[in-house]
Amino acid sequence: MYVREAHPTDEWQMKSNLKDKDDVCYAQPKNLEQRLAIANDFTKRFKYPLPFGIDDMSNAAESAYSAWPERIYIIDESGRIAYRGGMGPFNYKPEEAREWLSARYGAVKREAPKTPADAATTSTSGAAAPTPVAPSTPAPAAPAK
Amino acid sequence: MNRFWKWTGGVLGALLVAAFAVLSYIAGSPKDVYGMVRYALPHMHRGTLKVGSDAPDARIVALDGVSRFHLRERTHERPLVLVFGSFT
Repeated sequence: MYVREAHPTDEWQMKSNLKDKDDVCYAQPKNLEQRLAIANDFTKRFKYPLPFGIDDMSNAAESAYSAWPERIYIIDESGRIAYRGGMGPFNYKPEEAREWLSARYGAVKREAPKTPADAATTSTSGAAAPTPVAPSTPAPAAPAK
Repeated sequence: MNRFWKWTGGVLGALLVAAFAVLSYIAGSPKDVYGMVRYALPHMHRGTLKVGSDAPDARIVALDGVSRFHLRERTHERPLVLVFGSFT
């Protein structure tokens, strides 16, 4: 889910963006067309394989989920929050969500990324891979078979 | 009394300088401290959603820029993992 840029050129640009070999330098989008252009660049450049949505200029999703700059949630089948990740970048921990899903539905075999572009699909912000930690949200027991 | 205020001011000043130095170290540079305070902190919120809360709905734009869908349309059949982020 694409939300407001975290480190655009006209706000708080990080030095790491300038050094990034992929040249991730964008100004904060002022309209939906600009958001669409950046989102499409991202998905094409990294061959992003997952369904992708864009928060509109009212930032409704970002506000509802306190999602900026990055965050992970899992909504269960009943439409309730089942997992709430911490605020990124320091508490953005995909491993926690993966552990939650594994505990609930069983482990999924994952192939090691073959290229940097493949690896980039696991994070939309370029944040360093966090160290696995115990999930902050206890995963429910796997359903009885 | 005058001496008390001098000490108080000195200690507070030293604390401010120390806090700025620590923030500069964490953020990377003094300029990054400004960026963090000016642009990041106003948008960073822990939020009130908790595990078990009803997931808020939101109208989302698809990549084609034309289609719209509601998050609620994507739930109920199976879990929905929402990964929020941006490019930069």
